[in-house]
Amino acid sequence: MKASLRLAGGLLLAGLIWEGAVVVFGIRQSTLPRLTEVLAAIAATPGAYWSGFLRTAIETLIGFAAGTVVGVANGLIFFRAPILRDMLLPIFVVSQTIPVIAFGALVVMWFGNTLMAKAVIAFYLTFFPVTVNTLLGLHSVDPRQVALLRSFGATGRQILFRLQLPMALPQIFVALRLGASLSLVGAIVGEWFGDTTGIGVLLLQAMYNENVIAVWAAILCAAVLGTGFYALVALAERRIVFWGAEQ
Amino acid sequence: MNRRHLLTGLGAALALPAIPRAGAQTLTRATLRLKWLTQTQFAGFYVAVQKGYYREAGIDLTINPGGPNLLTENLVASGADTFGLSGGTDSVFAARERSLPIVCTGVMHQQTPFVFVARADGPIRTLADFRGKTITTWFTGANFVLLGMLAEAGLRPTDFTMQPQQVSVTPFVDGQIDVVTATRYNEFYTLMTRMGRDKLRVFVPDDHGITFPRDTVIVSEQTARDKPDMVKGFMQASIRGWRDALRDQKLGVDTVMAVAPTLARPHQEFMLEEAGKLMVAGPAATNGLFWVDMPTIQKAHDFFLRNGVIKAPLDLAAAYKPDVLAGIPLADRMA
Repeated sequence: MKASLRLAGGLLLAGLIWEGAVVVFGIRQSTLPRLTEVLAAIAATPGAYWSGFLRTAIETLIGFAAGTVVGVANGLIFFRAPILRDMLLPIFVVSQTIPVIAFGALVVMWFGNTLMAKAVIAFYLTFFPVTVNTLLGLHSVDPRQVALLRSFGATGRQILFRLQLPMALPQIFVALRLGASLSLVGAIVGEWFGDTTGIGVLLLQAMYNENVIAVWAAILCAAVLGTGFYALVALAERRIVFWGAEQ
Repeated sequence: MNRRHLLTGLGAALALPAIPRAGAQTLTRATLRLKWLTQTQFAGFYVAVQKGYYREAGIDLTINPGGPNLLTENLVASGADTFGLSGGTDSVFAARERSLPIVCTGVMHQQTPFVFVARADGPIRTLADFRGKTITTWFTGANFVLLGMLAEAGLRPTDFTMQPQQVSVTPFVDGQIDVVTATRYNEFYTLMTRMGRDKLRVFVPDDHGITFPRDTVIVSEQTARDKPDMVKGFMQASIRGWRDALRDQKLGVDTVMAVAPTLARPHQEFMLEEAGKLMVAGPAATNGLFWVDMPTIQKAHDFFLRNGVIKAPLDLAAAYKPDVLAGIPLADRMA
């Protein structure tokens, strides 16, 4: 409770500094508008911002969830079958070095202006860090612990679910926190390829109409979404990896 | 809720989808990919959707906005979109040169939609004064229009500095560059509001004999060949939507603002008015909206060929199809 009060205080302070700096230093609106102007712009058409927020949130979540599932599965498969790891991981690495924007136009051709198209880009950015960190986490398990469990007669499945996956969780969560921000980036970039709803669409419209207040309004929405999502993942981490969350 | 209500509800739920389906059988699904983000430059299409004109023509149309990273010609040629509103005669030429199977069935802007703007109180009074100055423009065709204009004023490409223009007109407003390119309906508004109309000196390509029709309606060759009725229906419905949007501009702006509520209304009102002027100008005054004026296109083609923008002459009769509009009575085409 105390911590959240402090957080609220910090946000209020940051807002006051923003507002005050613009007024005191006479910063031009085209450089940085006042916070109250930005909030008023959101309040003027709340529906547009809310539906954009929801749409982008859903795209992010779907991409993130798919990326997590596929990433953990990849990690397990690569852990069990090093041959596959040696064959496929380099290809994954290559795929990640291609800037995501290069795929945007293709994804539009394949999936059209659908929610899926954005989720696919969010997925593309999420699955790789999860794959690598799952693999890393599984490898970090002490072989003596595995040997101990095996000496008790534990099956492979039991070792996996009782020892290896739990031990890999701290590493996996590092990737999930990264994935939380990356999947939002993916969703917003996806929306830049001709969609009608979303924070990315609002951002693009504002940018090209040189409507600085609307740019900041969209940035604010993206920040709330990104921070909120990150906080949720961090909260889940604290609950699930109660023995060693690193914060 | 008791069981009987539940059953009636279920029955209704099962029966209801069947009703639109029966009607939908006659509707063909199609998409229109715009050349840019949702704004009143495209108001007529949105009005036609809202008033059901496309449905009356048997088309269930979805409008897909464009964006900075999309090329309408590619999306239409690949079949991802049915109809496209593409850059203009320039991008149609470029697509045909790359053998993309698309044809143009309508032209929205009959006059060059962009102008070149200098400061009214600055040293640039005539085209000859562009010598030694820094100009930003779009390297998608506008650059060649300017090169052509300046060539006629006796300037060679080495006599001035031409840079690609980014999103913002701020560098011009701040005095970092001397000449900026502006569409009449978009950037020009920003310039006017930030500097004042009387502070701007405008150079119009059409005044210098270069007319460059833009905002072209395109379909794939296959669609044009296999579904001529749908293409005609689309043009007819689009014209109806545009007539409404131009006659009742408040309706046009309202319809677009309903789709994109965060847009700035005054800017959108200005845009629709200016875009409307471009649509009824020139040959459209006698031949109606969307008219594909072959002589003007031929001139633009020859101009591009002369300047080496297109390498070889194109078969314009294969690329431009004015006959779709010719099949619609003239009275129905007039704005």
